[in-house]
Amino acid sequence: MKNRLKVLRAERDWSQAELAGRLDVSRQAVNAIETGKHDPSLPLAFRIARLFEMRIEDIFDDGESV
Amino acid sequence: MTQTPGPGEARTRQRQRRQMIYVGVAALIGGAIGFLTGFFDRGDGSLFTGDWEALSLDPAIAVVVSIAIVAGLLALPLYGFTQVDELKREYNLIAFTGGCLATITGFPVWAVLYAGGFVPAPHAFGVFAIAFVSMMVSYPIARIVR
Repeated sequence: MKNRLKVLRAERDWSQAELAGRLDVSRQAVNAIETGKHDPSLPLAFRIARLFEMRIEDIFDDGESV
Repeated sequence: MTQTPGPGEARTRQRQRRQMIYVGVAALIGGAIGFLTGFFDRGDGSLFTGDWEALSLDPAIAVVVSIAIVAGLLALPLYGFTQVDELKREYNLIAFTGGCLATITGFPVWAVLYAGGFVPAPHAFGVFAIAFVSMMVSYPIARIVR
């Protein structure tokens, strides 16, 4: 699944460790999500969306059009 | 590009410290089990060859080692599961699956090969070792492949 996590993180000048700490996950988890190796669970996706004050579908794109 | 350290960095460092302590405690327990069983071993048996009759250990040491095994192989991993995030939980589940599949395949294969005269008879420690080693191998594979 594609996502804008890396861009959003860069806009805030946060390191992966900074974002990981704010989301209460490991830095490896942030890296895995950014590189598309891991799709976050729904609760984590909600935490990410809340942190960036966006909707989940504005951050993650499953490639399916509505 | 410089990045601003914030509260998240501190929380990540704390998580890493906790992880290092976890690994240290696991190594300590493993070392204690190895030392106690090696140093106080009174018999001529060997777990590796399934030579059970000749195994002998002081009863008090046996109780201490049993407690250490429960702590190291049950309590600590269960605690670890409550501390890891969803990515590492996924790696762990893959590792457990690897260990389980290797065991349910490994034992009958071993038994059949024994029946065919190729290998010694299956024994409990061998089956335990198949599960343990498979888990240890599956974890890094999960990290690389996923």
